[in-house]
Amino acid sequence: MTMKTLTLKTLRYLLIGILVVMAGFPVYWMAATALSPNAELYGTGQRFLLQPQNIFGLVTELGQVPTGQWLFNTLLIAAGGTVLSLTLGSLAGYALSRFKFHGRGIVGFLLFMTQVVPEALILVPLYAMFITFGLLNSLTGLVLANVGFSLPVACFVLKGAMDAVPYEIEESAIIDNCPRFSVLTMIILPLIAPSIAAAAVISFFAGWNEFLFASTFLSDRANWPASVGLASFVGQYETPMSAVMGTALVFSVPAIVFFLLIQRKIVAGLTAGAVKG
Amino acid sequence: MTGLKIRSGMTRLVPYAFILPPMIYLMVFMFWPLGRQMYMSLTNTRIINPNRGRFVGLGNYERLFEDPAFYLSLKTTLVYAVLAVIFGVALGTISALAIDRPFKGRPIVRAILLFGWAVPNVAASLIWLWMYNDRSGVFNRLTEMLGVGRFGWLTSVDLALPSILATTVWQVAPFVMLVVLAALQSVPQEVREAARIDGADGLSTFRAVTLPHIRPAIQLAALLVCVWSIRRFDIIYLLTGGGPVGTTSTLVVKIRQTAFENHELGMASAYGAIGLVLALAVAAIHYAVEQRRMKWMGR
Repeated sequence: MTMKTLTLKTLRYLLIGILVVMAGFPVYWMAATALSPNAELYGTGQRFLLQPQNIFGLVTELGQVPTGQWLFNTLLIAAGGTVLSLTLGSLAGYALSRFKFHGRGIVGFLLFMTQVVPEALILVPLYAMFITFGLLNSLTGLVLANVGFSLPVACFVLKGAMDAVPYEIEESAIIDNCPRFSVLTMIILPLIAPSIAAAAVISFFAGWNEFLFASTFLSDRANWPASVGLASFVGQYETPMSAVMGTALVFSVPAIVFFLLIQRKIVAGLTAGAVKG
Repeated sequence: MTGLKIRSGMTRLVPYAFILPPMIYLMVFMFWPLGRQMYMSLTNTRIINPNRGRFVGLGNYERLFEDPAFYLSLKTTLVYAVLAVIFGVALGTISALAIDRPFKGRPIVRAILLFGWAVPNVAASLIWLWMYNDRSGVFNRLTEMLGVGRFGWLTSVDLALPSILATTVWQVAPFVMLVVLAALQSVPQEVREAARIDGADGLSTFRAVTLPHIRPAIQLAALLVCVWSIRRFDIIYLLTGGGPVGTTSTLVVKIRQTAFENHELGMASAYGAIGLVLALAVAAIHYAVEQRRMKWMGR
């Protein structure tokens, strides 16, 4: 190995090291804070090393925060949104994948547009609408608001998967006059199970992550998802920081695990939606 | 795309049976509110009478265009979006190039580099809020150790926007990395080797072979980051609440504040209308670029 390639190699590892520290440190620090006694956090100063021996203290502290209730609400919101956006998304995806019909281009454009509309734009009218229909402070209302944004992504992921299914597979069923809806549910959907899983995870974590609508529409503490509950700690000093970071950690771990598992599918879905309009 | 032959009048209606439910849904929960918002911006609706605002024509817009706070928020939105794109794309692309070729421990490194993207936004905001903390934050402890003193990362007029940007870049760079990495791994190895055998050095191989290949991916990632930055609410709202003195109030933060702190829904909708124009402008550029590229790729 020449001197030059050796230097290049060292530089590359140095760069990777810096990137790893930059990307990983905040998450490490979340864990380190969660595992620190509060006397240290506000007094002597937080230690840089993890202190796993404090895990029992953390568990006791987490008991003072309604973490369980918040996560349960988050789960309901995310799951409800997933079911609704998969249902509507597979219908739209099937129509776009299998038929040429009048208005196809408009449908594609409208779906594309929802991906650039800021959530805050429809916040005020939705608020007014939810007052009228009694949907304010209800998880149902929140799910209905969220799905508008996860539906197009689900639709694009599913359409992409359906495009790859050869038409011959459903042909005989259609000749036998099998209803189109059954073709979709009994033939197509089972064939694209991996993409359905991907679309489900994308929709699920869109709901898991959502903050703007949840914090505006849900005034009742008992309805709060974890995102709103966590945000309520901002500027409030009674709650021990280790409990806050512990809750943040519990809230983050499922998201991190799933994102790492299906990152390729998520990227494919997001970019496909952005491209294909 | 499989266009099917339509046999009879009945089957002609079949696609609409599929497309109508999702479209009706989007009409009710997306496009009707959007239209309503445009109309609301022409009324003096307040939060006590959200459904009975009086029509005031362009009054809200007149007030908007006379308000220095509006120009500040427009400028903040643009600066925030442009800088998020520049730094996010640069860092993401560098990360992708650094881990493109296999090395020991790459799966772990790759996973760590994706953390910022995977952590939910509210959790990310709390982590960074704690790191930026005036008294016990890790950044101030570091700067103190270095002997340069403490900084009000989120409270000083000069540092608030850069601090928010750092958090944003931490979140979007991993996404850029994934998109660029996918493109990098489809660069044909033979072409790279052929260039090298022909005597091209690393840098010129990169410029002649790799860069043209990943350019569309970079463009796409940049446009997505731009759109997301115009839309972004949670991080900004939680880290600074739009302060200090409005230096981090983007249009989106302004909508929420005007509506639910000043209770002026009509005025908030006017801010929204400007936000919509901005988002649509970016989308239109995006659309045009993509259409051209798809034509160029022969699709």
